[in-house]
Amino acid sequence: MRRVREVIGVAVSGLTSRKVRTLLIMLGPVLGVAAIVAAIGINESSKGHLKAKLQELGTDLIVVNASAGFGFGQDPVIEAAAVGRVGRLPDVVAVTGTRQMSDIVTVPFAGAEDYYRAFPVPVIATGLDLPSTLEVPLVSGRFLNEFDESSGARVAVIGRDLADEYGYLRGESRTIELNGLQYGVVGVLDYVLLEPSMDSAVFLTFTAAMEDWGLDDPDPSRLYVRAPVNTRLVAQEIPTVVSLGGPDGANASVPTDLLDAQSQVDESLNNLTKMMGGLALIVGGVGIANVMSISVIQRSSEIGIRRALGHSRSTIAIQFLFEALVVGVLGGIVGAGVGAGVVWGVAEQRGYTMVLSVVGLAGWALVSVGVAVVAGLYPSTKAARLEPLETLRLG
Amino acid sequence: MNLTGPDGADEVILSLEDVSRIYGEEVQVRALDGVSMEIRAGEFVSIVGPSGSGKSTMLGLLGILDLPTHGVIRVRGVDAAELADAERSRLRGEAIGFVFQQFHLIPHLTALGNVETALLYRGLSSRQRRGRAMEALEQVGLGARHDHRPVQLSGGEQQRVAIARAITTQPGVVLADEPTGALDSRNAENVLQIFHDLQTPDRAICIVTHDLHVADSARRKISMLDGRIVSDEQLVRS
Repeated sequence: MRRVREVIGVAVSGLTSRKVRTLLIMLGPVLGVAAIVAAIGINESSKGHLKAKLQELGTDLIVVNASAGFGFGQDPVIEAAAVGRVGRLPDVVAVTGTRQMSDIVTVPFAGAEDYYRAFPVPVIATGLDLPSTLEVPLVSGRFLNEFDESSGARVAVIGRDLADEYGYLRGESRTIELNGLQYGVVGVLDYVLLEPSMDSAVFLTFTAAMEDWGLDDPDPSRLYVRAPVNTRLVAQEIPTVVSLGGPDGANASVPTDLLDAQSQVDESLNNLTKMMGGLALIVGGVGIANVMSISVIQRSSEIGIRRALGHSRSTIAIQFLFEALVVGVLGGIVGAGVGAGVVWGVAEQRGYTMVLSVVGLAGWALVSVGVAVVAGLYPSTKAARLEPLETLRLG
Repeated sequence: MNLTGPDGADEVILSLEDVSRIYGEEVQVRALDGVSMEIRAGEFVSIVGPSGSGKSTMLGLLGILDLPTHGVIRVRGVDAAELADAERSRLRGEAIGFVFQQFHLIPHLTALGNVETALLYRGLSSRQRRGRAMEALEQVGLGARHDHRPVQLSGGEQQRVAIARAITTQPGVVLADEPTGALDSRNAENVLQIFHDLQTPDRAICIVTHDLHVADSARRKISMLDGRIVSDEQLVRS
């Protein structure tokens, strides 16, 4: 034990006496470990973020878009009757159709007309079950109800971002102007994570859309379907149920699958970064071997005198191996620290929760130690093989 | 040829028995040619001879830094060639101290650190190591300079640190290679005096030198030429 302490002491004093060189050779393992730790940490954190988002969105929502059939010149739609057919499918618990209207300029408050003409807010005719289908609550007021629909009342629900722009106060009676027609705002819908465009949208009933905006029939162009079990099977059935073999098609997709795919993409990027980090570690190892080999030549007189003082070849080899080891240990620790710092910074900036495995950190630091020791093998063997008589230049 | 030391101590510390050292494979150079000699405790020996006479080769062999091509080197009766590197290194560390012309201090260590280097790997605590190293430094008059690095010391002082390093392990023999060769005459005299002071009944000093003044201050002078000992004489000190 005492011997080990002595060897460590000699190695550390050898390293601290050449601080700049020691720092430079440590840079390799530091960069390698930092790159790998950062790559893994950022990926895990962003995956954790995606997973949390998936959890929040639910993985059982299906989005069905109308696709063009034989008819040209008009937007493809799904006939209103298909909404009921989809709703009667086993495993479907909720379905709502929506249709985005065009050419409507919404002016939330006087004097904002130019801005909202340039950046029009979406106006969406919707079924009444949108909040329950999307599982999004209202921040205030109520959603459109059956009375609104049957009477064709000029009432609207607005998205949360629009409400903020609008300066809408909770419970306030306000109107919103659509192409000059005043609609009463009855409620504010909370953020819709899956459809961020809805956050600044105005929602109307299909009846109002037909009466005021010339919609011919209450046919939606998009369906939101909630199917908690057999989600993908249901998604496969829906196009047939909608078209009944006819020309009007529909595409069904599960949007959370896209997020899954996104995390797969991140995986390959992550592997690339890991490979780069691994490469940096190897290059770092070559650097250690290189610099230490030169160091052995420069310190040949020191090696010679140590041999003359009774240090054996193996002691000399171990001394140099320990120098490499210390470089690897410090490089690994600093690298892991820098990598963790980068992950923290990125997580902070992107609003992720930082996910970092302590075992992983220690593991990669250990890899750095391994690389350094392997790199130190050659120079330390070389040091041990030096003939003291040749290095001491006897007179 | 009287091989018994004048002090009466007669333990043989180093012995060469018909030792030859041949360098090179194709072109062979016989640097040492059938040399036999002994160094006993308490002796003060100088080895002289022109360049190429084999005295450095002999010093390397006496210090078991090298092994002979033929013949036997014994350190305290042990055949050095029979030992593995680790054991031979330990024997060298215990029995022999070295002083070199170029001092060979480790530049990044203090005077004390340099002396302590000789005491590493001997199972001493760092406190014991420091104590013994300090003692040796005080013996050469450098106790106050213990925390100076080699660059902060003069040549004479560096050589005294090297001497402290050689004696701190209490070796049976100190082998010195031109210890005054890199020093001015005043420092050389000082160092020589230290060597004389260091000689005790159980410690031998062996100096390889060109300097006749140094050689003549020894009690026994070995002259070499072409890898052979041409004379081995006891000197009467004035």
